[in-house]
Amino acid sequence: MIDAMRVTLASIVTLLLAWPAFADGDAARGEAKFQDCAACHRLEAGANNVGPSLHGIFARKAGEIADFRYSPAMKRSGIVWSPETLETFITDPQSVVPANRMPYAGMASAGDRADLIAYLRNATK
Amino acid sequence: MTTKLKEVDVVIVGLGWTGGILAKELTEAGLKVVALERGSPRSSESDYSLPNIRDELRYVVRHDLMQNTARDTITVRNNPQQEALPMRRLGSFLPGEVVGGSGVHWSGHTWRWTDMEFKVRSNYEERYGKKFLPDDMTIQDWGISYAELEPYYDKFEYTAAVSGKAGNIGGQIMAGGNPFEAPRKRDYPLPPLTPILASEMFTDAARNAGYHPFPRPSANASQPYTNPDGAKFGGCQYCGYCQRFGCEANAKGSPHMTVIPIAMRNPNFELRTHSWVTRVLKDSDGKRVTGVTYTNINNGEEFEQPATIVLLCAYAINNVHLMLLSGIGTPYDPVAQKGVIGKNYCYQTGAAATLFFEGKYFNPFMNAGGSNATIDDFNTNWAFDRAPHNFVGGYNVSGGFNTPLPIGYRPVPSGTPQWGSEWKRATAKWYQTAMVINASGSVMANRYNCYDLDPTYRNAFGQPLMRMTFDYKENEHRMGVHAANLINDIAKTMNPTKLNPASARTDPWTVVPYQSTHNTGGTIMGTNPRDSALNKYLQSWDCHNLFVVGANVFPHNSSYNPTGPVGALAYWTADAIKNRYVKNPGPLVPA
Repeated sequence: MIDAMRVTLASIVTLLLAWPAFADGDAARGEAKFQDCAACHRLEAGANNVGPSLHGIFARKAGEIADFRYSPAMKRSGIVWSPETLETFITDPQSVVPANRMPYAGMASAGDRADLIAYLRNATK
Repeated sequence: MTTKLKEVDVVIVGLGWTGGILAKELTEAGLKVVALERGSPRSSESDYSLPNIRDELRYVVRHDLMQNTARDTITVRNNPQQEALPMRRLGSFLPGEVVGGSGVHWSGHTWRWTDMEFKVRSNYEERYGKKFLPDDMTIQDWGISYAELEPYYDKFEYTAAVSGKAGNIGGQIMAGGNPFEAPRKRDYPLPPLTPILASEMFTDAARNAGYHPFPRPSANASQPYTNPDGAKFGGCQYCGYCQRFGCEANAKGSPHMTVIPIAMRNPNFELRTHSWVTRVLKDSDGKRVTGVTYTNINNGEEFEQPATIVLLCAYAINNVHLMLLSGIGTPYDPVAQKGVIGKNYCYQTGAAATLFFEGKYFNPFMNAGGSNATIDDFNTNWAFDRAPHNFVGGYNVSGGFNTPLPIGYRPVPSGTPQWGSEWKRATAKWYQTAMVINASGSVMANRYNCYDLDPTYRNAFGQPLMRMTFDYKENEHRMGVHAANLINDIAKTMNPTKLNPASARTDPWTVVPYQSTHNTGGTIMGTNPRDSALNKYLQSWDCHNLFVVGANVFPHNSSYNPTGPVGALAYWTADAIKNRYVKNPGPLVPA
């Protein structure tokens, strides 16, 4: 219960903090930030790697790709991916979805996250 | 019943770093290449991802990525007077046995060995006189120079995503790097890893003592990276599961996520896993090899794979074994000191202290494979005068951690009972408070340290096991005393609450506990066929279309980890084959 509250609070706080920068992210800079993700995530449809393909992510629920082995935590998370929820998640993945499988500590800078999301909006289409 | 297959241009035995590099380079040059790997196919996405990879029982205790000793192992003895017995369980060293080989489970430490090693005999004789070298110390020059290898070191470092700080760029000493390294053309591809408390404390203590600490260069990507071939690395997450594990974040430079997938995408390349090579076949005149025979270990089927060029790229020990089993070159005889195959087997030595600091929290569960600071003042520093200490070679000293596993790593002050409630109290109290200072030392070749075929024991294929005869000699003992004293001197200046001091090892070498997977020699490179098995291009003096690649080519062992020169020499050999041998097959160096 306490954990759940902390997660929700953290999500709200980061969302509020992040929103202004996030709205005007720079997609070109975001492409460079995607280096953080590219060792495990591809953008082509069906190209699952260590992480699931990000193609079409903004039309999906978390844990939805049939042939990717998600953690139970991610499947249960109930997240519907949108630019906002993804931004919240990558801020601190383990606090938003505890026990998820992604070995990534998070992207600390709100500006970097905004740039990355701006890039992914088109690149995942 | 052996099925004879269609001839290919190149057959590669073993697909780790060296096999992977050669497979990529030679397929890109248009050659048709088949790789035979005895292990299973493994990948980051299906095998090394979270949470399953963090399994100490599977990977550390049961050796999931390592050679299966039920099929083949070695027999071991300390000297020719003993009867060698089979090593039935891996211990002191851990050869890999999967696609990617030991390059999957290594820590990533990547060094450039220098002319101090490549010209070892010339250097010592020139400075200290011929009498300084004991009669039974069979060290010899390698026949290659640092200058020749520099571009290939560079290539390997950029392929494997080595993080570090240059100490010498083009002759200019760079602050914060290793001032004793040989000049490099440019810096490492990535900045050093984030230091940890233990490496910072060691750095301060070593600097205060007048030494030259620097962050250890390691193929753990300190930030996301795309290598020149387009392979993508994640940034190291300091997860603590490095040595003996595949990397969960694709941050450790490994062949299975760099050179091998590039070769796999090339239609010129074919990989056959579970394929155990039993013999290299010689032509009737003995001047060439014609291919290899192998067994599919899933069903026992035997095949002959003819090839124009044969490359032995298995683990260092197994390359030598195949040469002996195939009768290529003259086996080494330590009594007559004739022959070359099996000669100059070397290992490494060391000493370590554990320091306990009440009130400090080292978080030993969080670090990279290369989370160390190192000093080379007693290693590549040629100004360090060995004469008063009477030893040849050197040792590097590091402070930090390398995969101190949450279950397996249990530092307690000496004198603590090894089990029971008192041990439990001690391990809970001291786990967080301990750090290690460790010396890794060279081992010089000795005429009696060698390999041959065992007269008694056989493997699952009915072939003789390889016999290893090895022990440390006086040279290594003297160096061990020097290293232990040095470590203890530094440790005392740090004022630990308790200290388990370093001591020089004087016991004979044994197969337990784990020491290092740095076995070298057996098919050594050199300047002439009397003293060496291979020329400087790692080409057999006996059969010009056979190349043997790996640490088995090192004529002696330095204090450094071997993968830097192993990778560089693989690229060097690839160039020699592509640019010279294929155009004009024959000996690349006149005998």
